[in-house]
Amino acid sequence: MYEFLHYQVRDAMTADPIAISPKTKLHEVEALFEFHDFNGVPVIDDQWRLHGILTKFDLLKAFSFDTHALVPHYHEIMEQTAETIMTHDPVSVEPQLPLSRLLQKLVEMRTKSLPVVENGRLVGIIAREDVLKALRRAAIEHQTPGHQELQP
Amino acid sequence: MTTLFYTHSACLEHDTGFGHPECPARLAAILNVLKTAPFAALEWRDAPEATDEQLTRIHTPAYVEHIFARIPKRGHYAIDGDTIVSTRSGEAALRSAGAVCAAVEAILKGEANNAFCAIRPPGHHAEPHQAMGFCLFSNAAIGAAHARAVGDLDRVAVIDFDVHHGNGTQAALEQDPGYLYISTHQAYIYPGTGHREERGVGNVVNIPLMANSGSADLHRVWQQEIEPALREFQPQLILVSAGFDAHYLDPLAELNFNEEDYQWLTQQILTVAKDCCEGRVVSLLEGGYNLPALAASVAAHVNALMEAPRTVQRSLIKDILERQKAKRNA
Repeated sequence: MYEFLHYQVRDAMTADPIAISPKTKLHEVEALFEFHDFNGVPVIDDQWRLHGILTKFDLLKAFSFDTHALVPHYHEIMEQTAETIMTHDPVSVEPQLPLSRLLQKLVEMRTKSLPVVENGRLVGIIAREDVLKALRRAAIEHQTPGHQELQP
Repeated sequence: MTTLFYTHSACLEHDTGFGHPECPARLAAILNVLKTAPFAALEWRDAPEATDEQLTRIHTPAYVEHIFARIPKRGHYAIDGDTIVSTRSGEAALRSAGAVCAAVEAILKGEANNAFCAIRPPGHHAEPHQAMGFCLFSNAAIGAAHARAVGDLDRVAVIDFDVHHGNGTQAALEQDPGYLYISTHQAYIYPGTGHREERGVGNVVNIPLMANSGSADLHRVWQQEIEPALREFQPQLILVSAGFDAHYLDPLAELNFNEEDYQWLTQQILTVAKDCCEGRVVSLLEGGYNLPALAASVAAHVNALMEAPRTVQRSLIKDILERQKAKRNA
């Protein structure tokens, strides 16, 4: 388990992740979610600067009751662009953040994943699954011999 | 203006087992940076072993005996899940407590203004009757008691800026108004003590900080709490339990101090020391588990103790972090 303390976000993240532009239509985002096993997707410009993050939760929220319509209209909503419903200026982390600290952040925020930003550019995304995998790797592949066996 | 530097090779040989965060490489990283040119004026001294008399001002003779009975002839022995000892740990623990006592004596004799002890095992979790949290002997409390005894001092302050609460130091000092113990630490992490309500006999100031607190919070609590408490107490000597695990890159906690904060805090402590006790400060290493961050932070701290120009320091710290980055990318 001590091995885990040496890991940084960069060691466990998905580098160069799939990302969308602020102008991507929601039906395209929905298709992305359909075919990929992720919960949210970062929203970037052509300079890879992070503008927001769009999650399945944001999509659901677009269909919740509001004052504009008695019944939400599927096609109308799906024609909207990512920037209209994404979370703007999301919390991001740097690649050199210790993974132990990232774990704390995920727990405190109850979030599923966080974008990784270096020098203002999106470089990765890190999710719960990545941290679980790293924990397993640290605990099992780097198992330390039991200390209790040796008596003074 | 001399700064003394105490350490010992035995502290490098205190082996805590594969992968343990409180590892010999921590001290090696510190020694590497303090051997560079900007620190040439440091006066290096070998740490002596603490005497029974020094240890038993804080711990009982039975406890000291108990610790030495736990040192294995080979391999490792776990006092608890994290507090591991091996063949050389006994001498390392003696040299660590001894370093602080020797530094205290030298400073009280006026041989130098201040001192830094690069020692391990650390001490601030070790209670009078219980080793825990990587710690065997309560180095800071032993040093403070030594100062009271040999220097005939009435008031000794201990400032503990390690990210964890120094439950051991507090337990040793909290009943005696001749000591003031001030601790900043992250709330709700190990060892779970250090609440504001714990005030000893009015001589304990606990300042828990929430996760993600940083420079601005440090400046605030210094101005509002630490400095007023120190000045009111008028210490005749200040000991510093210098843990550097509140650094933003440390893997064991979630405070966000940086090297400049440590430099700044050290300067503030020195200013109070100058006003109260002719600048007498003895600092000793506690935690800090990201090696480059630890080396850079100790460099900043010791640099402030030596009062070397700031510009040298900045370039040096940048250099350490960049070399580390280059190594990673290679």
